[in-house]
Amino acid sequence: MRLSNFLFEQVAAILRKDFLIGLRRRATFAAMMMFALTAVASLSLSMTGGFVEPKFLAALLWVVIFFAASAGIAGTFDDEAQAGTLPTLKLYAQAQAILFGKMCYVFLSLTMLTLFILPIFLILFNVAVESFLLLSLTILLGLIGIAAAGTLTAAITTSATVKGGLFPILLFPITLPIFLPAITLTELSFTGGAFETSSLIVMAAFDAILILASSILYDYL
Amino acid sequence: MNKLLILLTLAICAAIIFFVPPIKGLGEVAKIIFFHVPTAWVSVIAFFSSAFFAARFLRTFNFSFDKLSERAARLGFIFVLLSTISGAIFSKLTWGAYWNWDPRQTTIFVLILIYGAYLTLRAAVSDERTRAKVSAVYSLLSVLTVPFLVFIIPRMYFSLHPSPVLNSSGRVEMDSIVLVVLIAAVVDATLIFIQLMRREIS
Repeated sequence: MRLSNFLFEQVAAILRKDFLIGLRRRATFAAMMMFALTAVASLSLSMTGGFVEPKFLAALLWVVIFFAASAGIAGTFDDEAQAGTLPTLKLYAQAQAILFGKMCYVFLSLTMLTLFILPIFLILFNVAVESFLLLSLTILLGLIGIAAAGTLTAAITTSATVKGGLFPILLFPITLPIFLPAITLTELSFTGGAFETSSLIVMAAFDAILILASSILYDYL
Repeated sequence: MNKLLILLTLAICAAIIFFVPPIKGLGEVAKIIFFHVPTAWVSVIAFFSSAFFAARFLRTFNFSFDKLSERAARLGFIFVLLSTISGAIFSKLTWGAYWNWDPRQTTIFVLILIYGAYLTLRAAVSDERTRAKVSAVYSLLSVLTVPFLVFIIPRMYFSLHPSPVLNSSGRVEMDSIVLVVLIAAVVDATLIFIQLMRREIS
């Protein structure tokens, strides 16, 4: 039991370190939020007055979250990689602790991003949400999936010499199984239609698979 | 081996042109399936072999497995493009549109995206050791989407695509001559793939 406790402490320490650096530097957070804001504003501006179907709105919301997340979390491992401190960090903490610490950090920044952009999105597109519970559950499961796949993808792209645009290219096919049910469920939360619990279960199952796979594959990087 | 394959391919082409009767309700255009099905089959086989060799590489750190994994992905990319284009043409002739995001079109498009992402990643990493490790990890990660694409998407959306030869009802709904030629074409395409894989090693 002592060991798992220790791992948990290491995860918490890495999460705290990344969060502090993120707050102190602000550039990554600011870029991510402004990216989302710009995307939502430009979309909303180009459709002023027109009626937008809930299905289309749901897809737009996830497209904005996906690309803003890509802008924000692509460099999760870059600080250590550039400073050359990743090997040192691996000496102090277990590799798994680093992965899960980063994953928690990514999840936290994605949650902040969504808390920021969702109200703006709902106001600018004049969306009436019928089921907040369903919307929150869908977003929660979606963000867990993006965080799980995104952390490993960030670890992969850190070693690339040509980085521009690489991260979303790699992340999209892997997280598609999350997006398709997420978009359907988001649409239903806007319209208030009946939904199948099986879609939520599929998302949760795929989240679990992604977390497990990232944990296994990170050891080989 | 090469001569044998060329002969087999020519024989199959001749069989398609002269022996196979026009397919019920679709006529001569449906003969594109003799190109479409084998290329789709090989693109899936290539995907799994790429992942298989990636796993072998991560276990052994033998760089020839990395080469094989890359070769399979490159060949798979070509085959998946051929299959998508032939499928789109068939779709235009029978459904009236080249593309309508039918579940199978979604699946094959994701396969194109994965192949493209994998090859882009390989091009973007310059260090050979890192490239081998990183692309093997990505290859295995992308395999995770397969159960979803194969089992979940077809249940979520209605499909116009004809059922595959090995369909759930377990019945073969084809003329026997069509079936024989189709199986021969699939075997031929698989052999061509294996031959191309082997040629690179030597």
